[in-house]
Amino acid sequence: MSRRNPPARRPTTGTQDAEAVIHALRTNQVDAIVGDSHVMLVRLKQAETNLESSRDQLRALAARLESQRESERAQIAREIHDELGQTLTSLQLGLAWLAHTVTPTQPVRTKLASMSSLVSASIRSVRDVAVRLRPGVVDELGLVKTLRAEARAFRDNTGIPCRFETNLRNITFDREGSIGVFRIVQAALTNVARHARASRAVMTLMKRRDTLVVTVKDNGRGITSTQRAKPGSCGVIGMQERALALGGTLTLVGSRDKGTTLTVHIPLSRMLISGVAP
Amino acid sequence: MRTQMLKARTHAGRKSPAATAGSGTYAFRLFVAGNESNSTEARQNLAQLCSTYLKGRHRIEIVDVLKNAAAAIKHRVLVTPTLIAIEPQRVVTLLGNLSDTRQVLAALRLNGNRP
Repeated sequence: MSRRNPPARRPTTGTQDAEAVIHALRTNQVDAIVGDSHVMLVRLKQAETNLESSRDQLRALAARLESQRESERAQIAREIHDELGQTLTSLQLGLAWLAHTVTPTQPVRTKLASMSSLVSASIRSVRDVAVRLRPGVVDELGLVKTLRAEARAFRDNTGIPCRFETNLRNITFDREGSIGVFRIVQAALTNVARHARASRAVMTLMKRRDTLVVTVKDNGRGITSTQRAKPGSCGVIGMQERALALGGTLTLVGSRDKGTTLTVHIPLSRMLISGVAP
Repeated sequence: MRTQMLKARTHAGRKSPAATAGSGTYAFRLFVAGNESNSTEARQNLAQLCSTYLKGRHRIEIVDVLKNAAAAIKHRVLVTPTLIAIEPQRVVTLLGNLSDTRQVLAALRLNGNRP
């Protein structure tokens, strides 16, 4: 009777070895696991690279779309301002002429005054729409002054006091970066007005070493994690994409007691600065 | 066990502990899985490291586990890339693509050999 050899056994793997393998797997530095009867390929790194590349492509596409949207907005703003603005101004002048020409009976005068004030309101609306569509003011005033003006406009429109703080002056950012930051702030303030139920807001634009830090904070009821995670909610994805397009990050933190704080970090190098920061 | 980025495991006593760190000829056995990304990186990183720090005093044996799984099992290799430094010191095993040169040098006790 032949004596059978015991089956070949693999040496027992110690805890330390297992820990080392897990670490290597976790850091995606493994591409195959060797089993007793087969070798299994692990292509986590490849999958991660592919995913990252797809994300980059999506971001590039989003940035391109955003740039196209900005130029379309600028064109629409120009047309609204030039065409509609001109027409309304002519109408206003016509009404003024009528007021001086027709027999000044009371009903006619009252009607003309009412029409004139309607036309004036329409001219203001046209101007506001044009400004919101194309923040030409960013080009003219620069980012710092534009944000200061935006804080004032927010207070005037909503009645919610909004303070603006900055440690920047005599500094010019490139147009794309400035518009990106302006649009993020605009969206954040819209959220404050629509959802926060806040009684005050603070907007800051600070230079911290090599980073531009933008915050919009309110003392409202605070965004919840459910609201934040909801697709398309509060324009969060749009703001996030704008921050990413500038090589930055965006965080949105909500607390029932402390309100909502939006923070954006953007590398200063991506804002192509000229001038001197204090 | 050295707990580093690459998670080295050492087997003390297999070689003379008196072997001088950073001297002598180094013998490496690198287990890879064909041309998978980490395996390719590990091959390149090891070649680079040897040409920089161990010029003329190293031997590298590449074992492709897709062709020779038995060798991997024999040497208790569980994943690839795995680098086993056999000589001149005690046996050191490194897991990963060897991209962190500082950690690899520390595991091989070559810290003092920086050019």
